[in-house]
Amino acid sequence: MKKIILPPLGEGIESAVISLWHFAEGGIVKAGDDVVEVVTDKAAFNVPSDSSGEIKKIIRAEGDTVKVGDVLAELE
Amino acid sequence: MPPWLLRPLPPPGISKKISIYMKERGIETVCANSRCPNICECYSRGDVSFLILGSTCTRNCAFCAVHKGLPEPVDGQEAAAIADAVTELGLRYAVITSVTRDDLADGGADHYGEVVRAVKRASPFAMVEVLTPDFHGSADAVRSVVKSGADVFSHNMETVERLYAKIRPLANYRRSIKILTLAVKEGRTAVKSGFMLGLGEREDEVLRLMTDIRGTGCDFLTIGQYLKPKGSLLDVAEYIRPDVFETLKIKAYDLGFKNVSSGPYVRSSYRACEMIHPGEAYA
Repeated sequence: MKKIILPPLGEGIESAVISLWHFAEGGIVKAGDDVVEVVTDKAAFNVPSDSSGEIKKIIRAEGDTVKVGDVLAELE
Repeated sequence: MPPWLLRPLPPPGISKKISIYMKERGIETVCANSRCPNICECYSRGDVSFLILGSTCTRNCAFCAVHKGLPEPVDGQEAAAIADAVTELGLRYAVITSVTRDDLADGGADHYGEVVRAVKRASPFAMVEVLTPDFHGSADAVRSVVKSGADVFSHNMETVERLYAKIRPLANYRRSIKILTLAVKEGRTAVKSGFMLGLGEREDEVLRLMTDIRGTGCDFLTIGQYLKPKGSLLDVAEYIRPDVFETLKIKAYDLGFKNVSSGPYVRSSYRACEMIHPGEAYA
């Protein structure tokens, strides 16, 4: 099981809010695809997937506040 | 947030060197204190905007994330620490800005001078830009800062006159225009100003603002999007489209500005070296 994790977003940024999932459970993702958009108070980022696979489970939903390092979804 | 505000993920680890250096020495940067979204990009390039005179401001501007309240005593070691930082980090262009210090008789102007002189003594080839508060309109303060040897004198107008009461209640539009006029009159530095869009300003007001700034003789201008810092009560009135930033940039050049930087993530100190030296390559 591979994981999509919130990567470091910058100095002093510990958390962000998930604003938009680009894929749903069952979606097929290629390595490098942007899978989720997150926002901080002053910026918005697209987070890519490092791996290819099918999204088995979306763990954190739109609107959730997530910390750098949190698992956002699982891929297989 | 609108799609044009999406940014690439910052490259891992590159900007940590400067961040760690500052933390270890207790040096404040406005980059960190204002939670600037450009921090990783700028630190990675070796662009730093130092925050002097403490990290607590005596004003209460609604757009700013810097801590407000009772200020700390002035740090006598600060000039030396910043001069060391510029030298040890090999910075070729340093921005020195500060909180406002209405509690100090000279508003901190002397301290600005001390910092600039220390930086120039230690790194004679580094360019220094000062981004100052309004010093209550004092000509003596402006003169003292300018004579310290800074290459660029910057003071931000921030917004149109009508919105001052709402977003900069302790500042004064005419007073800030006067500061720019005084700096131009001293004739020793390049003079720069900047403002934000997205606070509810009208187009005609923005044109008037740019005309007023240009009327002081100020040559350099930055225009960026207001983004609401965490904890602020001032909502973004509008996310301004990139093409509007472009149109304003052209209008600013028509007004006679020598160089203009205009875009959603543009900030007063963003790529400041390139504004004064276009085409300057970064090491």
